[in-house]
Amino acid sequence: MALLQISEPGQSPEPHQRKRAVGIDLGTTNSLVATVRSGSAEAIADSDGEVILPSAVHYGESDITVGAAARNRAGKDPYNTLLSIKRLMGRGIADVRSFGEQLPYKFAADSGGMPAIETAAGPVNPVQVSAEILKVLAQRGAEALGGDLDGAVITVPAYFDDAQRQATKDAARLAGLKVLRLLNEPTAAAVAYGLDQQEEGLIAVYDLGGGTFDISILRLSRGVFEVLSTGGDTALGGDDFDRAIASWIAEQAGLGTDLDVSTQRALLDRACAAKEALAAEESVALEYGDWRDQLDRAGMAALLDPLIDKTLRACKRALRDADLSADEIGEVVLVGGSTRTLRVRERVEDYFGRVPHADIDPDQVVAIGAALQADVLVGNKSREDLLLLDVIPLSLGIETMGGLTEKLIPRNTTIPVAKAQEFTTFKDGQTAMAIHVVQGERELVKDCRSLARFELRGIPPMVAGAAHIRVTFQVDADGLLSVTAMEKSSGVSADITVKPSYGLEDADIARMLQESYAHAEEDVAARALREAQVEAERVLESLLVALRENGAELLQENELDGLERAMEALRLAHNGGDADEIHRRIEALNTLSEPFAARRMDASIRRAMQGHSLDEFDQ
Amino acid sequence: MSLHQTYFEMFGLQPAFHIDRAALAERYRKLQREFHPDKYAARSDREQLLAMQYAAQINEAHTTLRDPVLRAAYLLKLAGVEVSPEQTTSDAEFLMQQMMLRERLEEVRDESDPAAAIDELGEEVRGLFATEQRNFADVFAAGNLDAGKDSLLKLQFLSKLQRQVEELEEDLLGDY
Repeated sequence: MALLQISEPGQSPEPHQRKRAVGIDLGTTNSLVATVRSGSAEAIADSDGEVILPSAVHYGESDITVGAAARNRAGKDPYNTLLSIKRLMGRGIADVRSFGEQLPYKFAADSGGMPAIETAAGPVNPVQVSAEILKVLAQRGAEALGGDLDGAVITVPAYFDDAQRQATKDAARLAGLKVLRLLNEPTAAAVAYGLDQQEEGLIAVYDLGGGTFDISILRLSRGVFEVLSTGGDTALGGDDFDRAIASWIAEQAGLGTDLDVSTQRALLDRACAAKEALAAEESVALEYGDWRDQLDRAGMAALLDPLIDKTLRACKRALRDADLSADEIGEVVLVGGSTRTLRVRERVEDYFGRVPHADIDPDQVVAIGAALQADVLVGNKSREDLLLLDVIPLSLGIETMGGLTEKLIPRNTTIPVAKAQEFTTFKDGQTAMAIHVVQGERELVKDCRSLARFELRGIPPMVAGAAHIRVTFQVDADGLLSVTAMEKSSGVSADITVKPSYGLEDADIARMLQESYAHAEEDVAARALREAQVEAERVLESLLVALRENGAELLQENELDGLERAMEALRLAHNGGDADEIHRRIEALNTLSEPFAARRMDASIRRAMQGHSLDEFDQ
Repeated sequence: MSLHQTYFEMFGLQPAFHIDRAALAERYRKLQREFHPDKYAARSDREQLLAMQYAAQINEAHTTLRDPVLRAAYLLKLAGVEVSPEQTTSDAEFLMQQMMLRERLEEVRDESDPAAAIDELGEEVRGLFATEQRNFADVFAAGNLDAGKDSLLKLQFLSKLQRQVEELEEDLLGDY
């Protein structure tokens, strides 16, 4: 009985099926989803033809609304309409209080140190709110692509620390998305313009959104994207442009400064319309009540220049942090809707001395870059032409005596990376120990961000100083930290309990998933079964490909038999209805196939180094 | 390769202090193209984990071989010589020279022309660092591990001093 068909390389046993993958720009003000279809990346519109989904979630007593409909309720129902939730991702309750009046919500401390917001639907945390936005985008993607998504690339600001990245990933998990990679927003923008194809270069990504400004300086050297520096202003954006023009109208029309909300709104609408009209016209007519006047481009430039100056000062600081001058920058990329304003383009061009890339819609460029990367990662496209090596944005360290930090992994280290550190016990018979991990560049623990506290248990009792615990800190390709520990002399691995400083533990996520199912009246068991089946399919497919490639070469006959039996058992479990059984079979197959996977890695290295290593070593 | 190979074997390089930097860079990219977790993003969790461990190892190997001090320490470690962080060289003349260089570093800001003073000091430190690297390469190639160890301790001193010089250079630039 042939359970396994081994085909010639290049001939797959089934017709090649295109995977469904999307790129998601989860923004502070707006979010959007894009995908690659018939060779080109494009943003996906909703049924009304709208591409942009405002990052707004309204919690009613019995329903949750996301997007423009939610944002429109902000005026009438501010406490239940959550805007700019991205600012709260991975933040603690203390951080949130420091944002002050910017966020008018009622906060309560959550169990995990995360802020919870009181709403009509009960308390919600930022991860749950972001998950609601992601669900809408995932749904949109699934509808456009005709089925459940196989994976998504989600973008995050380059300066996001571990807690903020983890929170984003948790939100995706809560929304039922498989995250292929968290990608830095400026890197995604550079990818959208194909700048990753160049050998070397220095790139500035100027990102001016509705309410935030970010500047990132990237260095590209043969496929390695390194974030050299980031800077910006979290309270500066196109909305400020509108306010500047609105105040000018108010002043010209003699309205005074004490205006009611509806007048302010009317002025802001006129200001925004004028700003947009001046992108095409030399001059625009304005009126309010009896007042009538013209605003031309030069007039608007004079109003906006002080604000644009602020962004250029941030550029200057970022360049200085990167030890560069403006004329060394080879490429400038514009991101964010506010870079449509002509005056912004002129000033940026003038400052960097070169014409910025602006052909791709600046609202969509990040999502498009993410979609291109998602298409490669999910396996639709050969990855030869796109490899992004990212770096860790902030140093990781641990707390030592006296509240000082000891840096373990310096910033700008290429990830993934693993660093081992040895610790010893300081008391006789000590069986547990705590490690506090922080992120940041400062010397004092209190000036860095607390990431997590790890508690090691199960250290074999020995005299003080005899136990040597080797703790390995690993940062994966998404920039996320994990920790493992082992006592060296006994080989006993210590148990680790992680207490994220501002985040969710696995149990929290499981509970929230339950709650969200209950809310959506979805069958929890059916969902769990479906997820187990998807993972089973992934494991089977990936092993089939591997066996086809070099199963015959790397496996003994009995090993191959064993694998085939375990695969068949998993197939049977997959077709049955028991999620636990599927997980057991996956686990069994994974364990059995581990030596094969390791041999495959070794074989790949041998292949990669062919022509180098052997002859040079035999000399 | 496997995780048990030496870093030099991993990159197909001779275990010597002088390495072909272009070859190192080229093979690093080649290995990353093979093992970066992105290549395994659509694979099973287990394979992703394995790829991450390999990629992390490749990054660590690259970092070690690229940096002269780390490379020297690694060569000695392969030869069975471990240097603990508390150890220091017993070469009194060298230590005296280090103290004087450090004093000059501290006094740079008080000089009439700090930029010129730091340039001159930087040049000198870089020269000493380069000379010591050549010395390490020679004694290590000759199999003199004791001299190699002493040379590594000096390299550590000089690289730290060089870093401090660079930091001050940056600070001084920032003042203008």
